[in-house]
Amino acid sequence: MNRLANAPAPDGRDASAESSAESSAESFTDALGLYISFPFCRSKCSYCNFASNVFPPRLLDGYLACLEREMELVAEAESVGGGSVDTLYWGGGTPSLLAPDLALRLAQAIRRIWTPAPEAEFTLEAAPGTLSTAHIAAWRAAGVNRVSLGMQSWQEAEIRSVGRLHRAEDVTRDLEALRRAGLENLNLDLIAGLPHQTEASWRDTLARTLDAAPPHISIYMLEVDEDSRLGRELLAGGARYHAHAVPDDDRTADFFELAVEQLAAAGWRQYEISNFARDGGESRHNLRYWARRPYLGFGLEAHSMLRRDGEERRWANPAELKEYMAALEAGRLARGEVEALSPQRQLEEALFLGLRRNAGIGWDELTAEFKAGAVEAKRAAITPMLAQGMLEESQGRLRLTPRGRMLSTSVLAELLE
Amino acid sequence: MDAQRIRNFAIVAHIDHGKSTLADRLLELTGALEPREMQAQVLDAMDLERERGITIKAHAVRLNYRAVDGETYQLNLIDTPGHVDFSYEVSRSLAACEGALLLVDAAQGVEAQTVANAYLAVNQGLEVVPVINKVDLPGADPERVKEQIESVIGLDASQALPISAKTGLGVEAVLEAVVHRTPPPKGSPAAPLQALLFDSWFDSYRGVILLARLVEGTLRRGDKIRLMSNGMCYQVETLAVRTPKTIEVDELAAGEVGLIVANIKRVGDARIGDTITSDLRPAAAPLPGFQEIKPMVFAGLYPVDSDQHTLLRDALEKLRLNDSAFFFEPESSVALGFGFRCGFLGLLHMEIVQERLEREFNLDLLVTAPGVRYRVTLTDGSLVEVDNPARLPSPSERRSIEEPVIRATIISPEEYLGGLLPLCEEKRGRQQGFEYLGPGRVMLTYLLPLNEIVLDFYDRLKTASRGYASLDYHLSGYQPADLVKLDILVAGEPVDALSLIVHAEQAYERGRALAAKMKELIPRQMFEVPIQAAIGGKIIARETVKAMRKNVLAKCYGGDITRKRKLLEKQKEGKRRMKKLGKVEIPQEAFLAVLKMGE
Repeated sequence: MNRLANAPAPDGRDASAESSAESSAESFTDALGLYISFPFCRSKCSYCNFASNVFPPRLLDGYLACLEREMELVAEAESVGGGSVDTLYWGGGTPSLLAPDLALRLAQAIRRIWTPAPEAEFTLEAAPGTLSTAHIAAWRAAGVNRVSLGMQSWQEAEIRSVGRLHRAEDVTRDLEALRRAGLENLNLDLIAGLPHQTEASWRDTLARTLDAAPPHISIYMLEVDEDSRLGRELLAGGARYHAHAVPDDDRTADFFELAVEQLAAAGWRQYEISNFARDGGESRHNLRYWARRPYLGFGLEAHSMLRRDGEERRWANPAELKEYMAALEAGRLARGEVEALSPQRQLEEALFLGLRRNAGIGWDELTAEFKAGAVEAKRAAITPMLAQGMLEESQGRLRLTPRGRMLSTSVLAELLE
Repeated sequence: MDAQRIRNFAIVAHIDHGKSTLADRLLELTGALEPREMQAQVLDAMDLERERGITIKAHAVRLNYRAVDGETYQLNLIDTPGHVDFSYEVSRSLAACEGALLLVDAAQGVEAQTVANAYLAVNQGLEVVPVINKVDLPGADPERVKEQIESVIGLDASQALPISAKTGLGVEAVLEAVVHRTPPPKGSPAAPLQALLFDSWFDSYRGVILLARLVEGTLRRGDKIRLMSNGMCYQVETLAVRTPKTIEVDELAAGEVGLIVANIKRVGDARIGDTITSDLRPAAAPLPGFQEIKPMVFAGLYPVDSDQHTLLRDALEKLRLNDSAFFFEPESSVALGFGFRCGFLGLLHMEIVQERLEREFNLDLLVTAPGVRYRVTLTDGSLVEVDNPARLPSPSERRSIEEPVIRATIISPEEYLGGLLPLCEEKRGRQQGFEYLGPGRVMLTYLLPLNEIVLDFYDRLKTASRGYASLDYHLSGYQPADLVKLDILVAGEPVDALSLIVHAEQAYERGRALAAKMKELIPRQMFEVPIQAAIGGKIIARETVKAMRKNVLAKCYGGDITRKRKLLEKQKEGKRRMKKLGKVEIPQEAFLAVLKMGE
């Protein structure tokens, strides 16, 4: 069987830096993406800045009921029931903790409202070491055709230091089991800058990742901010959570650049700041965020975006489990304020999201969607960054340079009013 | 009230020796406030005063005290500012009194401000009653403190009162001492009016409020008063006293203290130390001791966002309404644009002004390093005063420079001399006195250039003595000095707002240290930023801020674009708070790098 039989290659040209003429917005239909947030975890990673937690398993049934209720309510409120869906993503948290029967129940609930296209990409995030044969079989039956393994590193010391529970050998075993079951569209997540990481350990992690040869690899640099325990500790200059063993910014930058270089040499092309793929293995669901294609998110702290007639609306669910569940148990939507984005904001976001992709954005796409004057103003605003070598322009497309990609936050912040 | 039963007194003390707590206790004991109305440190009304534990403005409270002799006395407690920056205000407040309680911490003993304030009180001819506070604490040693008071200040301490202002122990005896040891006021209610204006402030509803002590004569509501320094006349609208509730009265007579509201618009017209007299029947002469207040410390204040220039000017105007000691005039800087050169009484005053501007007016400010006013003799023999280093005439245009000098009193445990003496040397001090205040405790007197004090002297003094040394100083004239201008270049461009005037012998070392500190304070940018120090065009030090390697927001949990946007906005906001010089972004604190070189 073709290993991507259930997930035909997405429009790979769209994501490629070389295919400059491709217009991303046009290449997709109006189909929806669905994101299901599953905030339950066995342990909370020290770098995690998401609302996931070690919630009591007894809440699970109730949470699923809320998800089902929410999908019905949103479909009705937004008149989007029965529409076509071309990407599904179960993220977390740890969706792989979901018992096989519950995973099937959730998939059925989705299908009662929407009809995923036959070629739809259906990703499930899994924590290594939690995958049984029964789980994998249930996922297959549910329609899952892509699995993302949150492994972060092949080094035991690094994995332990951030509070993850799996062992490196679990990853090897999980990869084999997934592939045996016909799930070959796989992603491995890595983090550059983990505590205790050294150049040697990082090289080893990269080598073993390339050996495992998943079609997709995500590499993040450890984010240091107030939203995670480790981030707060680093900002405070403390030593808890192995903060003292976190490599400094320059080392982390070295590690990341080394990864970009090695992955490129082995055929994995960087198509977005943190994402690498070969053989058309790009994540179509994640691409839709950068391309501003519509998505609905369900569950704790899930985010949604719909675009209609040039209007773009966004909303988010609460980050408190109690609050989320209480609303839905009372038959109400849990979402916060619905934000309608002004054309100016949409333009800024088209830029800062589009530039995350190595394909960049085409000026013609922008002028097709936005007022010429507004686009011209942005064009003028980026001139200094072209001169500084942070951005480059060719064949009507604007992209980050490799250096600009390393400093993307500084560069993209300049695009805001 | 019969002047024989009036007592006007102040409490003088070193910071943290318990002045405000004692005042609270006196208010409580005399029933001025019910316990439920008490808020710690009632007299320190401004938030800033309570937070910092210092008194900035003078206050006066009238207490009615029924003494052991059965008589009821009117005690006017005059709370004075407690910092060296405000020593003139302190002297005027003390001039409104006949007596003073000299409050000394039983464990810490005599400190520099104890000495300075006690001398001020003695020089005003006040009857000084030593009070030893915190005698209930474990480290208390009242006998040693008495010896210090006698040997250092020269006061008889045999009758010193041991108290604990915190618990109330011995506080009754303090009130009795005020009654029996403070002389009653002398003036006559029938004489021509002479009232000492010892504080004033601006109230948005009433205009300027004067706090005054009547020395001679009587003042009634409706009277026409004249300020003797400038001849301006006003009609008295309201007379009041504070108990501490404000109570309106019909008249104030010689010996009393009260508030006067007279439709005065600008606090600058009602200057501290001035004499208030009657316009119809003026006194022959003003009371002695009036001085123009002159700023000693200068710094540039600039809005971080140049759009806030007008807002800053309005805020400075408003602040000056309430603070006549504060001075400002417009100036411009190549690096920072349009701002203001401001003059302050001292470093604390500068901090207070800055904090009030940011807090009360919500302004983002950039402050340049504080400096002093130099006297520069030009080659043609004319004299100019320079308080902005960027404006120092070039060596070819000037013949000589004189700098202001202070006489500093430092009191410290002996064991820290090893750190203090080299510090005074480094700061170009000349020792004038070295005295033991008893076993293990010394008092140093130094002549020091004021510009050395305004940089980091106080912090370093505290560090060198683990916080034990205390400092007091007053201006003591000018001295010629071999001074040069030190320039700082960022990315090859001189930044005028970072220029400093330093002694020639220290210029190299300062330049190197300053460049190194700037390197620490300027965050990494998208490109390499060289920082250089130069004297007269010659580069003497160079540091490099390396280019930033990474700044990436990677994760995008389930399409949370809003979070991404917020993080980008935060990044952008962080840049807005920095000053952009050319393409280099410099944080506010880098302009004060010179103050942080010891850190």
